[in-house]
Amino acid sequence: MIFDSYEAFRASNFAARACILGSGPAGTTIARKLGAAGIPVVVLEAGSREFSDESQDFYRGATVGDPYFDLDITRLRFMGGSSNHWAGWCRVLDSQDFEPKAWAPDTGWPISRTDIEPYLGEVHDILELPDFRPDVPISDDIRWVQLIKSSAVRFGEKFADELDKSKNIAVVLNTYATELAGDGKRVTGARLWSNGQDAGTFSADYFIVCTGGLENSRLLLWSNQRSNGGVVPNAAALGRYWMEHPTFEGGNAILADYGEFEVDAVNEAFFSPTLPAMERLQIMNFGIRLIETPYPSVKRLIADLACTAPDMAEWMSAKLSQRLRCAAQLYVAWEQAPLASNQIELSKADVDHAGVPRIELHWKKSPLERRTILEGLRLFGKTLAEKNLGRVRIADWLTNGEDYPTNEELAGHHHMGGTRMGTDVTKSVVDANSKVHGMDNLYVGGSSVFCTSGECNPTTTITALACRLGDHLSKVITV
Amino acid sequence: MSFFIKKMSRRAIVQALIALPALSLFRNQPVVDPPNADPNEIVEVNGWILKRSDLA
Ligand SMILES: Cc1cc2nc3c(=O)[nH]c(=O)nc-3n(C[C@H](O)[C@H](O)[C@H](O)COP(=O)(O)OP(=O)(O)OC[C@H]3O[C@@H](n4cnc5c(N)ncnc54)[C@H](O)[C@@H]3O)c2cc1C
Repeated sequence: MIFDSYEAFRASNFAARACILGSGPAGTTIARKLGAAGIPVVVLEAGSREFSDESQDFYRGATVGDPYFDLDITRLRFMGGSSNHWAGWCRVLDSQDFEPKAWAPDTGWPISRTDIEPYLGEVHDILELPDFRPDVPISDDIRWVQLIKSSAVRFGEKFADELDKSKNIAVVLNTYATELAGDGKRVTGARLWSNGQDAGTFSADYFIVCTGGLENSRLLLWSNQRSNGGVVPNAAALGRYWMEHPTFEGGNAILADYGEFEVDAVNEAFFSPTLPAMERLQIMNFGIRLIETPYPSVKRLIADLACTAPDMAEWMSAKLSQRLRCAAQLYVAWEQAPLASNQIELSKADVDHAGVPRIELHWKKSPLERRTILEGLRLFGKTLAEKNLGRVRIADWLTNGEDYPTNEELAGHHHMGGTRMGTDVTKSVVDANSKVHGMDNLYVGGSSVFCTSGECNPTTTITALACRLGDHLSKVITV
Repeated sequence: MSFFIKKMSRRAIVQALIALPALSLFRNQPVVDPPNADPNEIVEVNGWILKRSDLA
């Protein structure tokens, strides 16, 4: 059932065992799992069926540190969440992303990739993906990786009919959970805001916070402050270790044959480091994206190469005269080192219409990341040269140690960390089952539980984790 | 590709490209070629990741 207001839902007398906050990929997936297990669940969604400026305004916030997107631009606040404008790039985190790395503090998850692999079949159906393909090593250092360009499922649209017909699931739109109340053991209720006013408290036996990779931290920080630590009793890491996938053009490549590598539906190919290469160079994971270069840039690149290696340039210009596609821009997206200082805080100056403090995001890229991209492009260039597949030119801003360019992609709109998973309560917020440490009935869904970000887009892993959490809760919650 | 370019030799194309005004011609750093240098050695010159033999 879908209700357009909290009043309509109340009138229905629907009795829920569990309450999910947010109807994005995480919340919708968990709700469908619980519904399928016969557990009555309510999904409280702050927005309505469509985009609105009024709803979006609740997402405004500020960023301190490196340049970042406006916080009301980098996500969407209505049914289906940011899946309403995601690009649909899909890949699951690598096995190595789950393992601790001696050279990067605070890495490693309490679960491994094998814990989510049983759910990849379901993820495949939910996200409408072709088959997952194994990586293909092209040298000891570099592997070709599959990043699927999917149809970008809009969760609100795809599942609206199913949710509306479900007897076990009630989706309640235009209902903003402004805070949770808790006694240090259990969440006792959620304070609601609907129709521009306070709408009282909603109670359920279990609460699952799925409000997105920025908002999860905001809601829990505010709830904890209001309940004197009664919602997240171990809050040292709450809001901390926030991560993105910074993305910049790091250079160009001239290729002997663009067709050498398997490309995806939009003619792009992706490459990442092998674990031994990461260990040897003590760098983080990264993804190099090869995008075919427009023709005029190819000429300029070959002319540049002629200054350094005339014979090589001559060979390439011959290729050019045969009108072969032969050059590519190299975009690099990388894994950030998890840092406690990259954190979501509550603004001391600015609140939204419901009186909840807005986000102040503190975010900076680290020197380790800078080394990761430079060494990464070197590894890729070395591989292409050794295999005679092509030649790489690293961008001047990187080789000259200049600032990051200001006119580029910037990052992926991937909001990770803030309520990370772990066993150490001083460095994590939830346990291996996504349950908040010390609380009996509070769980978190979404990429805020990520301990590390890997190099790939998060939603495939979010969906797999949501299937896993849904299964877990189906066993914990008895009807 | 224009008729004019098709008629040019490869070396002439390269030289014409070098002459483009937007290019920095003075970037070349001298690369000292040690005796018995491995032609397959990977070198980094002006941001390019090359084999030493490319510099010949
Ligand atoms: C431009 C763009 C492109 C992207 N491209 C990709 C891509 O190619 N591949 C990829 O993997 N990922 C991509 N992403 C990221 C992807 O959209 C997110 O990872 C995904 O949507 C996160 O799902 P979620 O359910 O955790 O959170 P969200 O999608 O953010 O959903 C959260 C939901 O909670 C609701 N909500 C918020 N606060 C409250 C509250 N207090 N009470 C009740 N409800 C609330 C919101 O309205 C929203 O519906 C992209 C994102 C953007 C912005």
